[in-house]
Amino acid sequence: MASESTPRAQNARANGLVDLYERAGYVRVEPPILQPAEIFLELAGEELRRRLFLTTDDGGRELTLRPDLTIPVCRAHLAGGSPNRAAAYCYLGPVFRDRGGAAGEYVQAGIESFGRDDREAADAECLALALESAKHYGCSALTIRMGDVGLFSALIAALKLPPVWQRRLLKNFNRSGTLEADLATLKHAPPPDAVHAGVLAALQGSDPAAARAFVTDLLSIAGISAVGGRTVGEIAERFLEQASLGATSGLAPEVTAVLERYLAIAGDPDAALTELRALAADAALDFSGALDQFEQRTGFIAAGGVDVASIRFATAFGRAIDYYSGMVFELYDSAGRVKWPLVAGGRYDRLLTLLGSPQPVPAVGFAAWIVELEQAGASR
Amino acid sequence: MSTLVVGVPSKGRLQENAHAFFGRAGMSLVQPRGGRDYRGTIPELAGVEVAYLSAAEITSHLAQGTVHFGVTGEDLVREMIPNADERVLLLDSLGFGHANVVVAVPQAWIDVRTMHDLDDVATAFHAKRGRRMRVATKYVNLTRTFFARHGIVDYRIVESLGATEGAPATGAAELIVDITTTGTTLAANGLKVVNDGVILRSQANLVASLAAAWGKAEREAARALLDRVAAERAARTLREVRSRFKAADAELVAEAKGRFGAIAPLGGPTSSGMLTLLAPPEAVHELAIFLRERGAETVMVAVPEYVFARENSLYQALVARLDR
Repeated sequence: MASESTPRAQNARANGLVDLYERAGYVRVEPPILQPAEIFLELAGEELRRRLFLTTDDGGRELTLRPDLTIPVCRAHLAGGSPNRAAAYCYLGPVFRDRGGAAGEYVQAGIESFGRDDREAADAECLALALESAKHYGCSALTIRMGDVGLFSALIAALKLPPVWQRRLLKNFNRSGTLEADLATLKHAPPPDAVHAGVLAALQGSDPAAARAFVTDLLSIAGISAVGGRTVGEIAERFLEQASLGATSGLAPEVTAVLERYLAIAGDPDAALTELRALAADAALDFSGALDQFEQRTGFIAAGGVDVASIRFATAFGRAIDYYSGMVFELYDSAGRVKWPLVAGGRYDRLLTLLGSPQPVPAVGFAAWIVELEQAGASR
Repeated sequence: MSTLVVGVPSKGRLQENAHAFFGRAGMSLVQPRGGRDYRGTIPELAGVEVAYLSAAEITSHLAQGTVHFGVTGEDLVREMIPNADERVLLLDSLGFGHANVVVAVPQAWIDVRTMHDLDDVATAFHAKRGRRMRVATKYVNLTRTFFARHGIVDYRIVESLGATEGAPATGAAELIVDITTTGTTLAANGLKVVNDGVILRSQANLVASLAAAWGKAEREAARALLDRVAAERAARTLREVRSRFKAADAELVAEAKGRFGAIAPLGGPTSSGMLTLLAPPEAVHELAIFLRERGAETVMVAVPEYVFARENSLYQALVARLDR
């Protein structure tokens, strides 16, 4: 099937894609193109700023052309009633991102599903619909790359590391998607705080109230009154954390070994699960809850008719966006004729809370890039 | 109109220092219609026009190629011009306008001494408050690049165009990135510089635009201008050391080169042992001791007015970059 490349034919195919989503029960929405910039910067961080097309309104409020549709759809959902209500949305429209030379305006389609407590089934349906999106464009030779951010969080929690290490590992996993380089630096982490060594030793084992009183005294002796942004309690708490680390500067070798073994696990989801269970048993770590969910999800994916053996799962695979919390995936043209993912998405249970929902809302979705799909479809 | 345009700061200390710099290099900047004139000339050089602009304007003109040369701070070049080294060439640092761009946090943050601490605090702050730590600055790009290099992601930039050091006290931000010369303003506002938080040690530079039109006439004018700048720089950084004694020979000159960084700009000693060297000021005394040990009765040291060399390293650097 040689696909026609006229704008009319391309529009028809894109509309056909959204029809597919609507038939699957997703309600089409069209959030405003102009969005408050604040929310995107707060959620995605400063690295996004140079990618945004920013402008200012009369009152000096910073606005941006929407760089994606997930956040605008979430905002519309929150504005429309109880955050927890089950809802399924789909969209098609332009998004704007400075991609250094490549077109800054491009068309994106996608779905978002909110409020479903049967997370594993919802994940599997999301992946199935993503695969159907690619098929709609005639791309059937697809590489499915998959990861699970939640699994890593569960492992970190099971390792019962000091809070400092937990924060750092999670942050760096979210950011880089791969921790290999970071692990090397963590092994020989910063030298112990020599200047404060005496103070830290004195604080070791003391309770938060005593530490707080100590820091308050310290500041008043130094004649510092304004603490600026952080409370005395927070400063004292971090001092205590440092004290609890004691003389150890890097991660313990056995912890590093577990992390390295974990991050090396890759393969199809069934094979990976076997290795993960073996790791949990060998290291006497309990993160079976997360592993059971993983197994369940794989079951739902198989039941949906997807060849599980073809999925390339990797524990080290992540997407460089903070708000993902569970399964993440990207679909690529297997022949490699299109460099970028055709469709990508995942679970983001924290996002609606970050946007102001008083209670956590399960959420999963994906975005499909029309230009890439057209290319992959046409080059068959 | 193939005129070489030079952007010069139009006000304040930077203007005075720039005038002094050009003056030392034997170039007087003349504003034909008085101090309020925004165009000027350099009578000593043909085909050169001076544009009086603010340092920020000079920087953006350099990026766009609407001035050929400009005197501006490296901080502005790095902040305002993406991939600065692709678009401008920092020819020479001028020894004035010193200032550091630094990361400063409240003094009360006694647990924060390094950027590593700051990274940890930022992540904890984000996790606990559900919002990112705010950094007040006018150096948006320098901050972003520096924080990225230290792996810090949990922050937001709040643009600040004046009195940045007051932002933590007023609650507009938790920390700042700002320029400082002595640190007293920071201290007065209850702030301290993070140990490894010096982003840039900046000073005024003579900067060439790579985007400007560099025709034959502009290059000729640039060569003449840079000849004077290079001569002044050599004169500023070298001392003339003279003596006359029998034992002065090529071997002795070679030893002086190796041990004291001296050069013999006029060639080896004459048959009567007349010797002229140029040496860095800090090596002059040691060199004078050495020469007397070898037989010199008297060693005279003087500050040269100019040192004109056939090879103009500044001009060559410019041409090499333009023709790359």
